[in-house]
Amino acid sequence: MSSTDTLELTEVELDLAKPFACVVWNDPVNLMSYVTHVFMTYFNYSKSKAEQLMLQVHHEGRAFVSHGDREKIERDVAAMHEFGLWATVEQGG
Amino acid sequence: MAHAFERSITGKIIGRLDAVEQALLRSLLQQLAVLLHESDDGAAQDPIAQLVGIQDLAERPADPALLRLFPDAYREDEAAANDFRRYTEAALRAKKTSEADAAIAILDRADSKVELSEAEAKLMLAALNNTRLVLATRLSLTDETTLEQLLIAEQDSGGAAHLYEWLTWLQETLVRAVMRDETN
Repeated sequence: MSSTDTLELTEVELDLAKPFACVVWNDPVNLMSYVTHVFMTYFNYSKSKAEQLMLQVHHEGRAFVSHGDREKIERDVAAMHEFGLWATVEQGG
Repeated sequence: MAHAFERSITGKIIGRLDAVEQALLRSLLQQLAVLLHESDDGAAQDPIAQLVGIQDLAERPADPALLRLFPDAYREDEAAANDFRRYTEAALRAKKTSEADAAIAILDRADSKVELSEAEAKLMLAALNNTRLVLATRLSLTDETTLEQLLIAEQDSGGAAHLYEWLTWLQETLVRAVMRDETN
């Protein structure tokens, strides 16, 4: 194995080691009550945690709502899109 | 004026919408269903793609309303966003279409009362939300101020901004009725 190969492998490993996050972005359409409902039903968050995240989206423009490996986060983002929330996969956070 | 949705003492979710309101809601849901059907870019005709739910080419929608329903999952990585779209968009479109169809079917069987099971309430909630997302894009709603300005401009003519506000109120009452069961 050449040194280049080793380097690439290490980079991939480092990349995978970084946590992924599902980020929900503020939009003028989704209701505060609805967003809270989505966080409670999909993530099983308590009402207070769901409301806290919803308010963060509302006031700060976005919130990191879940963390995990890429597969889990892509599933979460797809679920948010099903609910009509504007969500993206982000690394770190 | 409708009482919209509320949870009865027996725990049922009931919407009180008169015939005109039901027809209006049905027509908006129908438009959503048509938009979703029209946006199907060929995967439906390919039986294999349909079977596995993966599209060879899933193009980023040019229509901003469709882009809002099927947003990019990656902001700064076009290749990853396209991959995500190939793997998820067909299923997402099918889900949104079936929710719109289910909501229309609920209205078709309703009389002066629209009675919803928990599952039906969630379908209706999703369909209402999708309809509002599309209407908001068509109205170029960017914030609360834009809506207020549009409402003033429309005055009492009952235009699209008034429809949007009505849908917002319907959804708000429905989400509150649904949430009355979610304690913790």
